[in-house]
Amino acid sequence: MMASTRTAPPRRRRGGAPSPAAPSPHRRRGEGARALLWLSPWIIGVAVFFVYPLLSTVYFSFHRYDLFTLEFVGLDNYRYAFSDARVLQSALNTLWLVVFMVPAQVLFALGVAQLLAKLKRGGGILRTIFYLPSLVPVVAGTVAFVYLLNPATGPVNQVLAWFGITGPDWFGSAAWAKPSLTLLALWGAGNTIMIFLAALLDVPRHLYEAAAIDGAGAWRQFRSITLPMISPVLMFSAVTGVIYAVQYFTQAMIASRVASGATDSAGSTFTPGYPDGSLLTLPQHLFHTGFRDWSMGLACVHALLLFAVAMLFTLILLRRFGKAEVAS
Amino acid sequence: MRLRRRLMWIARHALAIALALMFLGPIVLVALTALMTDEQALTSTLWPERWNWSNFADVFTHSELLTWTVNTFVYASLATLFMLVSSIPAAYALARFRFRGRKTAFLVVISTMMLPPQVVAVPIYLVWARLDLTDSLWPLILPMLFGDAFSIFLLRQFLITIPREYTEAATVDGCSDVQILFRVILPMARPAVAAVALFSFFYCWNDYYGPLLYAGVDQEGWTLSLGLATFKAFHSVQWNLTMAATLLVTAPVIIVFLFAQRVFIEGVTLTGVKG
Amino acid sequence: MRFVPLAAAGLLALSLTACTAGKEAPPPLGAQPGPTANGTGPAADALPPATLELWHGFSTDVETKAFEEAVAGFTKKFPQIKVTMKKGVQDDRITQAIRGGKAPDVAASFTTDNVAQWCKSGAFQNLTPVIEQDGIDLGVLPAASRAYTEFEGKRCMMPLLADAYGLYYNKALMKGAQPPKTLSELTELTKKLTVRDADGNIEVAGFIPSFQYYENSPSHLGPMVGAKWYNDDGTSAIGSDPAWKQLLRWQKELVDWYGYDKLEKFRKGLGDEWGAEHPFFEGKVAMILDGEWRNAMIANDPDAKDMDYGTAPLPVADDKPDLYGSGFTAGTVIGVPRGAAHPQHAWELVKHLTTDTGSLVTLSNALRNVPTTRAAMEHPDLARDDDFATFLGIFTHPKTSTLPANVNSVFNQDAFSTFLTQWEKGAVKDLDAGLAGVDKRIDDKLKLSGG
Repeated sequence: MMASTRTAPPRRRRGGAPSPAAPSPHRRRGEGARALLWLSPWIIGVAVFFVYPLLSTVYFSFHRYDLFTLEFVGLDNYRYAFSDARVLQSALNTLWLVVFMVPAQVLFALGVAQLLAKLKRGGGILRTIFYLPSLVPVVAGTVAFVYLLNPATGPVNQVLAWFGITGPDWFGSAAWAKPSLTLLALWGAGNTIMIFLAALLDVPRHLYEAAAIDGAGAWRQFRSITLPMISPVLMFSAVTGVIYAVQYFTQAMIASRVASGATDSAGSTFTPGYPDGSLLTLPQHLFHTGFRDWSMGLACVHALLLFAVAMLFTLILLRRFGKAEVAS
Repeated sequence: MRLRRRLMWIARHALAIALALMFLGPIVLVALTALMTDEQALTSTLWPERWNWSNFADVFTHSELLTWTVNTFVYASLATLFMLVSSIPAAYALARFRFRGRKTAFLVVISTMMLPPQVVAVPIYLVWARLDLTDSLWPLILPMLFGDAFSIFLLRQFLITIPREYTEAATVDGCSDVQILFRVILPMARPAVAAVALFSFFYCWNDYYGPLLYAGVDQEGWTLSLGLATFKAFHSVQWNLTMAATLLVTAPVIIVFLFAQRVFIEGVTLTGVKG
Repeated sequence: MRFVPLAAAGLLALSLTACTAGKEAPPPLGAQPGPTANGTGPAADALPPATLELWHGFSTDVETKAFEEAVAGFTKKFPQIKVTMKKGVQDDRITQAIRGGKAPDVAASFTTDNVAQWCKSGAFQNLTPVIEQDGIDLGVLPAASRAYTEFEGKRCMMPLLADAYGLYYNKALMKGAQPPKTLSELTELTKKLTVRDADGNIEVAGFIPSFQYYENSPSHLGPMVGAKWYNDDGTSAIGSDPAWKQLLRWQKELVDWYGYDKLEKFRKGLGDEWGAEHPFFEGKVAMILDGEWRNAMIANDPDAKDMDYGTAPLPVADDKPDLYGSGFTAGTVIGVPRGAAHPQHAWELVKHLTTDTGSLVTLSNALRNVPTTRAAMEHPDLARDDDFATFLGIFTHPKTSTLPANVNSVFNQDAFSTFLTQWEKGAVKDLDAGLAGVDKRIDDKLKLSGG
């Protein structure tokens, strides 16, 4: 089962001929045409929803465009974007999420899964409990967290006060806002926990028994048995985590909105990022520039930047993925 | 040695219970706030002085919660259905046929999967505006007819584990590609199909960005995410009602989960193992 | 990957979608002779039957009902026209709908922030041709209201009631003190009226100086020191006008007196601005800056309506006593978007709502907003109790100002507010450099938007 988890073969030859390792004696003529037929809706989809918009985004990035008038402005949008402190800030915020939130979630989920795997009784109920929060709709969960962590009226700081701890301002302080979102991510890590738990339970018991006879301690066992056995699953979680972090939008937007007390009543405006731009991610900045400020050309520059960031992480992950596979 | 084991056992269970309480904590606190008066919700007391069950009814009079739920359900169901109709054949082709460009095609799947939806938002929005389909959820549903990268990826990962002997035997028996898909592949791939369907449904159920961009002015066309996001501010209501709405939105999902727990866990686990 | 054919297809599609989104619009206003000579009488029948879509920002039941009644006055005059309404619509949504080709026939906004952008881009139709056709004298509008409904000579909006901002004070909490007239009096009184508990937490605030508190935006507070937003060429004057620094230093001193953390904690525990737990209603704050509409909200709140409160103009800088009595004004604006299905009908509706004296007086009395024509303001039926008269006075004061129209108005205010949040927190070491940074953001953006 594990052998099938490859996403990208380590080396691929041009032309895509079948690799000698997997000869297909029954290959028949006409498979190409049939494949094309089966793939055609998807190919149209890629052309319409991926290739065309990408080219179009490049085109618009050289224009001033507000959906009414289109005017060529050369590199103006690029110049503006690269001197705009908020672009840098949002890119760094997105990076923060990839570098801190994703690993935190993966490690936390792994820890909880390890704990659950070792429990013999009560595991079922606990499993349900740990999974439940991931079923809470994202918007609902975020709104709830902002309320619970409100420094003045929220119950969390109240509970902390019983223990003599002065709670921070959570979503209201630039330093704590992203960690608060990380807490929210840990709370909703049920899916990852379940995936890890299944992988851990799949590791054959006799491997541990043999290691224990050889005198390997818990940490050695984890390093040399558990980790290699579950590495594809870890990789999968890291990859999906990174995809998620790069397009992180909803939680940050809602948290800023609710925590800032921005009203949605007419006459008020809301700029994402509260507090102090600490929750402004690239996708939000793009959305705001394009669909609230109607600077479509500038938004397209943001889009290309976001594309570059996404592709950068894709390449890094795919390379690591390739290496991991060579190792196993 | 025995004592140490005992202690480990206790420590482990204590930790697990502590963690479980922390996971349940927010839900319990939300439930308690949902039952407070709006005045009390603005204080830091935890226990409702008076149990205001009418808050739940008030949510419905203050908002279009039912309409939003129906919209979200229609959006998620249609999108998921369309996704299956378009993604299964693509995954099937990628897993089964050997052809030039197969690896390139798979790389494209991965690239599109990695692409944040906001990257191509501007041109795609223009297309939908041109087609007069903004102010509706169709721009979020119709693209699903052309395959969803993540679903194709997961399905393909599962389908390549089905031994070729099955399809070859069916070919010898004179089955067409379509028959093979329906009679051989799909019955074996049922868990994978369930997993991607579940994933897609939940993605749509939680989607905020898409409806924010396309759903338009009319609250009757909103989804739950959109409605709940503006719930507090728009209706000048207080935290107690907001928390009551939060619970009401969550409840159906949890009820469905409790009835179909096995499908959920299997599906989730499968995505991990097959990825 | 052979993407060349795809690229060609893409470019083709691009040429189709660029330029304008949405469908063909009916002829703009003024393109054909107006069917009515003066908007009343039998000529009104000349318009064919139609159903208009009207979007507005009112959301509470009282407001919505009052506005619906005003519109009913129009449909009585034009029985063949039906009007469907959408309430609580935000500017973002209006702009998006117009740009996406889904415009309503008439749209009203609570702010004047987007007027420049709407007029300049043509999102709202130029009303000048029909105003001339119908022979309307714009002299009936006060100068401030005229100013905030047009941009660079393009009049794309009409004013529909105005807002003026002043000081509300809770008489019980004032302990007999008179409302302050200068900033130093405000500081002194705030210190006197603030109540703290044993731990130093704020229980009652005299005045909340935070720029993040409800109506305390820089645009509303600026008139207290006569601060200027823009130079004549549209570039930012925030860094160069010493009045802003005066305001900021005064504000920071008061914030520091409370203690930033204590003030923030207090602010975050306050009820919603539009809800029944408003801190002023709850007696948690003695003095607030607010719009004239707060009078109506107090009167309509079952708990707050018995509160003993007073209103006054905002206190002003100690060295600029001539500013006293003035304040900030802006108002609801209404116009006909580009792409409106029935522009001529739509104009009739806009005209009725914004120039019909009876309609304005009724609406003003119901919403307790300031009416925007001289005739309505002087009308005997206009309710003029003391608390409301304060705002009529502010509105007509010669020094009263509005936020000058700018295509990036929302962006600019946000750039300033972002800085102010840093400032009140104490994260700004060099005020001049900080304000220069705000200027640069505003000016760079101005350049990007093409002037």
